[in-house]
Amino acid sequence: MEFGKEFYREFAEAWTTQNGYQLGQTISPDLPAADLQRIYRSMDTEHLNWKNGRNDDYKTLIKRGLQNSGVKAQGISPNEVQGWAEVYHAYWKSTGCLFAAKRSQGNQGSTSLWTEVYDEWKKLVNALIQGYNSHGFEAWTIPCLYMAGKHLRLFAMKADDERNKNAVDNDPSAAFRDDFDPESEKHKQLEDCARVLNRIFTVCLSDRAPLAESRKWGIYYIINLLFKTYFKLNSTSLSKNVIKVLTAGRGDMPDFYAFPKSQQVTFKYHEGVLAFLEENYVEAEKHLTEAWNTIHKDATRNKELILTYLIPCHLITTHTLPSEKLLEPYPRLQKLFLPLCRCIKKGELHAFDVALQEGEDEFVKRRIYLTLERGRDIALRNLLRKVFIAGGFVTAKEGELPVRRTRIPVSEFAAAITLGSQEKVDNDEVECLLANMIYKGLMKGYISRDHGMVVLSKSGAFPGTGV
Amino acid sequence: MMPTTWPAPPPPGAPSNGYTVPYPAPAFTPVPVRQSFGQPLVVPQPHLLPTYPLAPNYAHPQSQPPPSAPTNYATAVASPPSETPEQKKKIEWPESVRNYVQRSFSTDNLVASVSRGEMEAKLKETISQAADNNVMYSVDWDSMPLPQQMIVEERKKRSQASASAVGSSPTSKKRKSSDLSDVANLAINNPPWRAGASRLEDRVSFSKDKRQASDETPDNSKLNKLEKRQKRFNGGYTSTYRSPSPPPDNGPVVGTSQNLEKRYLRLTAAPKASEVRPPHILRQTLELLKKKWKKDQNYGYICDQFKSMRQDLTVQCVRDEFTVEVYEIHARIALEKGDLGEYNQCQTQLKALYKLGLKGKPNEFKAYRILYYIHTANKTELNSALADLTAAEKKDPAIKHALDVRSALALGNYHRFFRLYNETPNMGAYLMDMFVGRERLAALCNLCRAYKPDIPLRFVAEELYFESDMEAAQFIVDHQGENLLTEKNGTIVFLTGKAGALFEGAKTAAFSRVDIKGQI
Repeated sequence: MEFGKEFYREFAEAWTTQNGYQLGQTISPDLPAADLQRIYRSMDTEHLNWKNGRNDDYKTLIKRGLQNSGVKAQGISPNEVQGWAEVYHAYWKSTGCLFAAKRSQGNQGSTSLWTEVYDEWKKLVNALIQGYNSHGFEAWTIPCLYMAGKHLRLFAMKADDERNKNAVDNDPSAAFRDDFDPESEKHKQLEDCARVLNRIFTVCLSDRAPLAESRKWGIYYIINLLFKTYFKLNSTSLSKNVIKVLTAGRGDMPDFYAFPKSQQVTFKYHEGVLAFLEENYVEAEKHLTEAWNTIHKDATRNKELILTYLIPCHLITTHTLPSEKLLEPYPRLQKLFLPLCRCIKKGELHAFDVALQEGEDEFVKRRIYLTLERGRDIALRNLLRKVFIAGGFVTAKEGELPVRRTRIPVSEFAAAITLGSQEKVDNDEVECLLANMIYKGLMKGYISRDHGMVVLSKSGAFPGTGV
Repeated sequence: MMPTTWPAPPPPGAPSNGYTVPYPAPAFTPVPVRQSFGQPLVVPQPHLLPTYPLAPNYAHPQSQPPPSAPTNYATAVASPPSETPEQKKKIEWPESVRNYVQRSFSTDNLVASVSRGEMEAKLKETISQAADNNVMYSVDWDSMPLPQQMIVEERKKRSQASASAVGSSPTSKKRKSSDLSDVANLAINNPPWRAGASRLEDRVSFSKDKRQASDETPDNSKLNKLEKRQKRFNGGYTSTYRSPSPPPDNGPVVGTSQNLEKRYLRLTAAPKASEVRPPHILRQTLELLKKKWKKDQNYGYICDQFKSMRQDLTVQCVRDEFTVEVYEIHARIALEKGDLGEYNQCQTQLKALYKLGLKGKPNEFKAYRILYYIHTANKTELNSALADLTAAEKKDPAIKHALDVRSALALGNYHRFFRLYNETPNMGAYLMDMFVGRERLAALCNLCRAYKPDIPLRFVAEELYFESDMEAAQFIVDHQGENLLTEKNGTIVFLTGKAGALFEGAKTAAFSRVDIKGQI
């Protein structure tokens, strides 16, 4: 909103009702270019209006505007007003840059417009942090931090994109240093952003005020921003640090379930994916399921993201495949998982290998390749189960139920595996695969090396599959 | 393992570290720069001395000048030239002079190799000379060369002079004439220690953005300040180390040392040309080291020599196929001796070198990398490594082997794993040796659960690829399995049915520890 009476009234109103989100809106950069330009120019008008023989700088003008807006009645201290003047001055300056950047979008003239926006916006964030640290900003105003942090990250990514696009595939010899890291050059701004966000995190975390008026209520919003940033930077270990800090101070934290649901879901999703990447599938399943159960029913894209990791989790923990009905609303997931699922279900080893290879790029990109690969075990189990069923029943004794044949020559399994994988697999390797099945609990029984036989359990040779 | 003083490079592959430690560790650590903090300033370029009104202060370094004095000097040099007149005397500068100053600092005229500080000093010198000689109004300022041009010109002259001086000195008689032209060419570039000094400041101020500050157009007061500090640092720095020697800002070192061997010492100061070996000497060194390695296998010596060789290459900014060769050979030797710290340093460098398009054996080293990630059980990096492979690379025998090893382990197919172990190309077996033990334990656990009542010891030896039955037996005994070995029908059998969970503890322990210096 342009600087002027209207703006100061808005400020005062947010202040009177202690409406943090309304206050946050006053520093929103998410505006059309024309509005940004108006805001930027409005200071000149303000300047003229106030001039009356005095030549104050814009910061003083803003400060005076805030003071006279009626917030004094709310018991705001001059120090606090000073802090907000800093914030709005920084905001005013960034609208100028932002307007320039938005206007020139698409044209390749300048190379650092978004970097400038980022730098100016960072000053705003710093002014806010300063406000909490030394100007006595109150906790209800934390939505301003949300607004600032959220856009800092967006601007950082834009600045990185802009630089990478314009880089004239810069001198590769610059890369030759003892500790050269091309990745970090690529994400220069975003890495800086992560540091700033971390400071906001500290601002929220370290508040000692009673919970009712604590900045700790901002913690999950900021953590989620940090997660997004760290994930983009491929730095999962830093995300884990955040969780560590959080669990260390959990006692002093407000109850997790008292936070907005959207924040809960985002947090649980990231927590789940982190566990997933560490191959801690039980933990991952727990968090992802929670996210799944809490998520808004219309958030299709996010549901899709959760399923991307929850489905491989289930494959490992409970050996179950997604139903077609579950995947129905997500064509992308169908494409991703259905071919593999079919092969697993039918126990087609070779087709599984082919499907895995075909999807490899996509799987690797989503970091689920190494997990899905282990689905081959389930495919193998299903194949061996077929052999077992094909073995039929042994003649039952009088008056007893027929019993399946449980002593099966290794060579029968070998034939099935050779057929299924379309390559010659010798008996020793088949035994190795069988041993694995037994070791992993997918098959119950033992191998008798002396007799070249597999002796399967009479009750539930393949646990959980009905035989 | 060799104790190493080389700083562990932040792994490019591991973003965690790469991210938290974004400040480059230079080839040497310019620690002494800091000592100049409290020291009296010594004007670095003596030929400028007479024109400084404050100069007498600095003639007595032992009498600590008040803190204002050095800053005075610094501001006088580094403040924008438009302000200088007021500070000195109240003189009305003619329009032509103002234009001249403006032209000097116009971005179109800036020369990357000339720092703002140098330019300002030169500018000041030029103008005050004109003022002292009362020719301010008579000089044709419009046709006066710009200060940066003068500096470049002077440097050229100087380097030619020093080059000829070097040429006549007895130590460098063997140098070829082609080397001389190198000196002149290189003189224009920023020397590595200059970059080092500015990087130290990065650490001090915790700002990454300034990394390239010295190369950028200085257009605000912040940078100006930075320049001032640099000036101050450089002043103290250079005078401490190379007072009588030629000026320090003449590009990367060109070594003159003729010794084939050299002990590795971590640099704490700018390297001396006389102690650095030029590439053609280093080539001879490499041949010598190869021979010595074959003959003596003295890793301590070889590692030390290779480190000094790498250092010489770094300080001279030599990056060509020879550099690749040096790193590759050192990596292989380190691998052979299990020195993972050095091995990782070499791998990091090789990654950058291959990226430059230099020839070498990238696939061999990519395969090592994959095997190494298997060893460290670094799933995240492994996934990234997979993502980086091209279709052609996946077909390369060495890389394919590494990928197959990975897949065999992922599926618990120890049978295939040990077959692959047997046919590892290049020196990958040294890497596989590092985790073959734990995989044997895992396989043993498998065998014990799956087979009943027993299996021949011979079978264990074959499946887990032991050299002999004896070795297999030893492995079992080493893990408290002596009671499980018994004789049956004239052969030794392993009583898998009675093993229970005997090896599970050892297996878990073996998989839980992976902590390596310089890990990537």
